Amino acid sequence: MASLFERVRDVVVAQLKVSPDEVQPGSSLVDDLRADSLDVVDLTIAIEEAFADQADFEIRDEDAENIKTVQDILDFLTEHGIS
Amino acid sequence: MTRALITGVGAITPIGLTAHDFWQNLVAGESGAGLITRFDTSDMPVKIAAEVRDFEPANYMDAKGARRMSRFSQFAVAAAQLAADDAGLVISDEERPRCASAIATGAGGAIDTMDELEVLLTRGPARVSPFYVPTMAPNMGACQVSMHLGLRGPALASVAACASGLYSYIEAKALIEAGLADVVLAGGTEAALHRLPIAALANMKALSRRNDEPTRASRPFDADRDGFVFGEGAIVMVVESEARAKARGARVYAELMGGGLSCDAFHITAPREDGTGAEQAMTAALKASGMNPEDVDYVAAHGTGTPLNDASETVAIKLAFGGHARKLAISSPKSMVGHLLGAAGAAGALAAVMAIHDSVVPPTINLETPDPACDLDYTPLKARKMAVRAAVANGFGFGGQNGCVVFRKYGG
Repeated sequence: MASLFERVRDVVVAQLKVSPDEVQPGSSLVDDLRADSLDVVDLTIAIEEAFADQADFEIRDEDAENIKTVQDILDFLTEHGIS
Repeated sequence: MTRALITGVGAITPIGLTAHDFWQNLVAGESGAGLITRFDTSDMPVKIAAEVRDFEPANYMDAKGARRMSRFSQFAVAAAQLAADDAGLVISDEERPRCASAIATGAGGAIDTMDELEVLLTRGPARVSPFYVPTMAPNMGACQVSMHLGLRGPALASVAACASGLYSYIEAKALIEAGLADVVLAGGTEAALHRLPIAALANMKALSRRNDEPTRASRPFDADRDGFVFGEGAIVMVVESEARAKARGARVYAELMGGGLSCDAFHITAPREDGTGAEQAMTAALKASGMNPEDVDYVAAHGTGTPLNDASETVAIKLAFGGHARKLAISSPKSMVGHLLGAAGAAGALAAVMAIHDSVVPPTINLETPDPACDLDYTPLKARKMAVRAAVANGFGFGGQNGCVVFRKYGG
């Protein structure tokens, strides 16, 4: 099975239309992956959808404010029991 | 007075993904209608439409940009890019404030409303796309074209149901004549193919139910017509001031002379049966163009294939053109391309422009049994090689909005 990083990377690639190589744990969504504020909201919705079958969680606005990098997404999911 | 010239053509349609393919298939009498593939029609009385097939947004724009557009905007941007390429248009930064867009639509991103409403109802408000409002809004076709090509003059987006596509040429002419723009990317776009409008228009009895013979379903002016075939697509043309076009040695397809508008002020769907609303638009268009009925050789008719439109349009053409009506070559592009709704007027305008440029009038296919109420020359079944000095395009919309635009051979 694909790792958590790989699955998050696939969602990021599909939503932000970047190449898989560009997506690293340390990548900044805005600075490295050229997302704007609308993209970040759209991405959080897509993450919720992609992992909805594994845990009951929601990325609230205050959570989304702290999501700046791919690693932040990984950390958030891990905290919610998704691995 | 500053003349307005057509120097580039672009189209995304059910019968071609360039203006030239569209035109070739129009002249050849190829139908774009078929069974609907986009969604399940098993519980619907209408199962046919003219769909745009094999459209890949990434061929015309970057993938991320395309994700932020509704299909109607993607069509508009693609058609505008094709038109700009066809014209060999190069716009300097200094020129950008004098370059404009006029992209009309009937429904805008109505399909996004339908899809996102379903998300809201089934998955809750947290899952609704943040892109919904700026993709759905009907002005986005024009704004996305302006963003894509860097046009920093006015971006206009008229909404006039099935007459919409013609408004943009009248606006383009006005901008250029007033000296407010040197280049206008003008046209219409529509992508509203969805279960909801098909169901509604079927219940209205506006759509053909000839499900077993899709390519024979759109039959304007024929005695056995039973409604229109729902279509989608976009047509955009480059309208350029004569001075700019001359300075760069541009190829000129035709001259945009002017147009006329009117409103029936009568009924939400039915046209005035006496034809006076449509006649008023045609007469105003000729007057604005400084032309007489006898100067016109071809009419790209609205010709939807509904019983009411085709009869009243015939009456209107007779009123506007008098005795010359019987000498006109008339045809309905909708017999082939289907009814492109907000882009339909622009499809007619493109047919008019190309008829002038190539000296050939496209046919009205499926016109096999003449209707006594439609007794003019609708160029049945086969295209006709003939010189076209000037041509007009008609478009009439629900609500009673009527538009007519006149083109003429340049230098003629």
